[in-house]
Amino acid sequence: MTKLWIAVSLVFLCALTGLAQSETTVIDQSGRSVTIPLPVEILVSVHGIGTYYVYALGAGDRLAIAYYIGVKTLSSASESMLRWEPRLAEILSYGDPNIEEMVASGAQLVIADGSQHEAVAEQLRDLGIPVILYRAETPEELKEAVVLTAAFLGSGAQAQADAFIADYDRMVNAIATDLESLAENERARVLFVGTSLTKVISGEMYQTHLIEGAGGISVTRELFGSWNEVNLEQILLWDPEIIIIPPYGLIQPADILDNPDWQSLNAVQNHRVYRMPRIIAPMDTPVPESLLGIAWLARTFYPDYVSFDLAEEIVGFYANYYQFTLTDEELARMTGQ
Amino acid sequence: MIRKDRSVPWILVLLPVSAFILALFLGRYGIHILDTVRVLLGLDGPSDVFRALILRVRLPRVLAAACVGANLAVVGAAFQGLFRNPLVDSRILGVSSGAAFGAALALLFTSQGMIVQTSAFIFALVAIALVMLVGVRFGSSTLVLVIGGILVGALFNSLLGLIKYVADPLSTLPAITYWLLGSLNATQWSDLPPLLTITGVGLPFFALLRWRLNLLTVSDTEAMAMGIRVRLIRTVIVAVGTLLVAASVALAGTIGWIGLVIPHVARVWVGPDYGRLIPASAALGAATLILLDTLARTAMPSEIPLGVLTGLIGVPAFFILFLRFLRTRGEAQ
Repeated sequence: MTKLWIAVSLVFLCALTGLAQSETTVIDQSGRSVTIPLPVEILVSVHGIGTYYVYALGAGDRLAIAYYIGVKTLSSASESMLRWEPRLAEILSYGDPNIEEMVASGAQLVIADGSQHEAVAEQLRDLGIPVILYRAETPEELKEAVVLTAAFLGSGAQAQADAFIADYDRMVNAIATDLESLAENERARVLFVGTSLTKVISGEMYQTHLIEGAGGISVTRELFGSWNEVNLEQILLWDPEIIIIPPYGLIQPADILDNPDWQSLNAVQNHRVYRMPRIIAPMDTPVPESLLGIAWLARTFYPDYVSFDLAEEIVGFYANYYQFTLTDEELARMTGQ
Repeated sequence: MIRKDRSVPWILVLLPVSAFILALFLGRYGIHILDTVRVLLGLDGPSDVFRALILRVRLPRVLAAACVGANLAVVGAAFQGLFRNPLVDSRILGVSSGAAFGAALALLFTSQGMIVQTSAFIFALVAIALVMLVGVRFGSSTLVLVIGGILVGALFNSLLGLIKYVADPLSTLPAITYWLLGSLNATQWSDLPPLLTITGVGLPFFALLRWRLNLLTVSDTEAMAMGIRVRLIRTVIVAVGTLLVAASVALAGTIGWIGLVIPHVARVWVGPDYGRLIPASAALGAATLILLDTLARTAMPSEIPLGVLTGLIGVPAFFILFLRFLRTRGEAQ
């Protein structure tokens, strides 16, 4: 009788295990419970940032359509991007998400932006396609998003997600240790501008977290919302020691360094105006590459304090997460050497 | 009823001049009042930063606000008479839509202010050329011009939508969105010559044309009976008004309500005679936009888009004027 019970229990357990492998239930970043049939082999991404989570976890080949991969059109893709993702022409779709196109692709799951795709998600759910909504604007939410993505990509992705979080924490801790001896008033006071000279980040944006992770102080941390337009008088009041330009848009350091109205700024007088480099994703946004963003910022802020080898970190990141080998020119661009 | 208040001409001068001077003393960067005076008088003492801020940042911006405010208000006043419609403003002929499209198109490729302004100006002229083409083909009656303006405005709004659709969400789209909200934040001296030239020619033109504008407010037949070459005068007014609006919108972006509300406020103040309405609109428009722009650049660390402020002030002001109109009509009945 005991043996019979053991046999029945084993069969039941096997059935349960089988069920567990056929679907998984996760809570996405909009707080919604989503049940996803497994394995997910065909993915559609309507969220530019989310697309990079999939790639970083080694599942880029499962993307059937992506509506923004760092660029909106193929013509604006850099040579590096085309080399990194040879299928770019095949999967990059233009414009707003098209429901019928997504259904026709055979998508088993769609990943979307919780701040703008709620309506699209509702339509897809009605059609029986599960949707994961992301909302990541802090380092913790980025890690959460990566773990969430790994939950439906399989065990290989889980290991990759764990490795990413360990790498992220290792980098932040290494910077913190290197800068331990710096007093608060010795921290770099940083202005992060946007796509125009007077557009700046708010305290709620991911870039502020990056600056803080790199040991700096964002002079615009009191601002709220998204990109803020400010005037030159306010920038002179802040008088930043370092100005950072994002890796997109048309602004170059010379636009600030050569501008007569900006000459009294500490950052301009000391020639500390930098544009972030970019190979694939813009590393000031909440993508896995932002790990390199923190490293790059810390090295830029405190070249005499940080002890890690930036080139080594960059090469390692692209090899481990994007299975991509940088050329010497690309590496030099990233390290600024 | 035309009021005969003798103080009006003095106030017309004092109002914008006071606003202008006040604006030069206010800013996010605290500069002592005496330092500001020294800088303005060209005396030694204040630092180079103070000089740069007052002479290269505040002064061109305040000057631009004065010109843009005066232009939009005067053109609004003229067009309300020309089209015999109190709800008309300077945007009626699709000029602003053309300028918006031109600016957005340029912003796709560059953030250079001069190129953006030039493109906005050119497409504003393209818009009015299309309206005129409709006018030439179907007769330059006010109805034809208004319909032409609506069609051309709609066309450029659609094209603007297309530009926003293809714009990069990280870089060019925010720039286009901000431009559409209106701002004088990026104004430099190098931006001003076209605006100052057109304003310097356009505003006196409307002042000289004041009695013809009075006659155009009656029907075409009556105006012609009084010796006015209606089609010619209307075309010239539209052309000069367009230049003023195009130069203003190209620099400041889309700023609503000034062209609609200020002429009505001026009418309440000085009456409907264009001899007084044009200078009153210019003075009020200039003073209003200077003060609103000062608020936009000083109230918070972030700039408040000018179009947002003009809307917030313009809507209640228009509503008060409307209530006043209803009351007046009730008394008349």
